[in-house]
Amino acid sequence: MANIAAQRIKREFKEVIKSEEVAKCAIKLELVNDSFTELKGEIAGPPDTPYEGGNFVLEIKVPETYPFNPPKVRFVTKIWHPNISSVTGAICLDILKDQWAAAMTLRTVLLSLQALLSAAEPDDPQDAVVAKQYKENLEMFESTARHWTNIYAGGPDLNKDFNDKIRKLVEMGVEEHQARVALSSYNWDLERATEQLFS
Amino acid sequence: MASSKNESEPSSSKAGVSGEGDDKKEDRTFECNICLDTAKDAVVSMCGHLFCWPCLHQWLETRLSRQVCPVCKAAISKDKVIPLYGRGSTNQQDPREKVPPRPAGQRTEPESGSNFPGFGFGDNGFHMSFGIGAFPFGFFTSTFNFGDVRPNAAPLGTPQHMEEQFLSKIFLWLAFLFIAWLLLA
Repeated sequence: MANIAAQRIKREFKEVIKSEEVAKCAIKLELVNDSFTELKGEIAGPPDTPYEGGNFVLEIKVPETYPFNPPKVRFVTKIWHPNISSVTGAICLDILKDQWAAAMTLRTVLLSLQALLSAAEPDDPQDAVVAKQYKENLEMFESTARHWTNIYAGGPDLNKDFNDKIRKLVEMGVEEHQARVALSSYNWDLERATEQLFS
Repeated sequence: MASSKNESEPSSSKAGVSGEGDDKKEDRTFECNICLDTAKDAVVSMCGHLFCWPCLHQWLETRLSRQVCPVCKAAISKDKVIPLYGRGSTNQQDPREKVPPRPAGQRTEPESGSNFPGFGFGDNGFHMSFGIGAFPFGFFTSTFNFGDVRPNAAPLGTPQHMEEQFLSKIFLWLAFLFIAWLLLA
C-alpha cells in the first residue's frame, strides 16, 4: 500500500476518535487490520427518520490510490433505502464516485452517509424496487424501512403486523429474509408475495 | 462503483516525513489538505487552499477530465497555483524528485505612474473636439488639433490672465447675443 494512503488513514483515524460526533455516538470507526486498508464504520440512524435508533455497520476498503480515489464503502447491515441496495448494501452516492475530492476524509464520508439516510434521492436510485415504493407510497416505505431498522439494526419499533406476515411465510417453508424481501417489495401484500415466492 | 486506477507511483512515498511531528502540537493551519501533513513545497490555489505540490499534482493527474479544487471544487489548474516561499524553506530539500517541479511564481511589473498613454499617435498630444451648432456654423465648432499641445491657463494675477478673463467674458456675451438673435429671428 502506498505510504501516503496509510499515513493519511492513520491521521484520519486519530481525528475521528477525537471528533465530537464520536462523543455523541453518531459515528464510529474501527480498524479491521493493521495495514489500514480495511476499516469498519458505524453510523447511528438520524433522528426523525425511519432509521432512528438503529446502528448501521459499514465496510470501508481503502484503495492504494487513496486519497486520490474514494474509499469503497458498503452497508453490512441490511437496510431499506432507495440509494442503497437491499441485496448487496452497495451505495449510490456521488461523492463515493465521480464527485470524490481528495480533501474529503472518512469522517466526512460517514457524515455524508448519515445525511443520505435523512435525505434519500429516489430519482438516482440504487435499488429500483425501494425507490418505486418511496415515490408511490411514502408511508409504506417508511414503515418498511422502520421494520428493517428494527430487525437488522436494532431499532426500537417492532411491527407486529409485518412480523406476523413473515411468520406465515416462514411456516410455509420460506427463508425469513427472503420472505421479508418479498413482502417489502409487494407493499406487504401477503398474497402477491406468496405468489411471487412460489411461482 | 467507485473507480480505482492502478497507479503505482513511488513518488508519493513520503520517506523522512513519517515519525517526525507525530505527537508534536503543530500549527494545523499549514497542513496540506490532501496528505494532512505540514505542507511541503507548498502551493496555494486561487481559491486559497493549501497543498503540497506533489499531492496536488497527483490529484490533478488522477482527474484529468475534472480539474477541481479538492476542498471546494472550484476550477483549478496547474498554471493557476501560487507557490509559497517561506523563509528557509529552500534549504529543506524534499526527497520526492520524480514530481515535476512546482510552477514558478509569476511576477508582474507594477504599473508605472504615467498618465493615459493615448492612442499611439506618437508622443505628441492628440486632441479632438466636437461641438453641435446650427448648420452653417456647425463647421466652425468642430476643431481638430493634431500635434500641438494645448496651452495651459495662464497663472492667476498676471496681465495675460486678466486678458483671457476679459476675452472669455466678451465671447460669453457674444454667445448670449447670438442665441437671443436666433430665438428672435
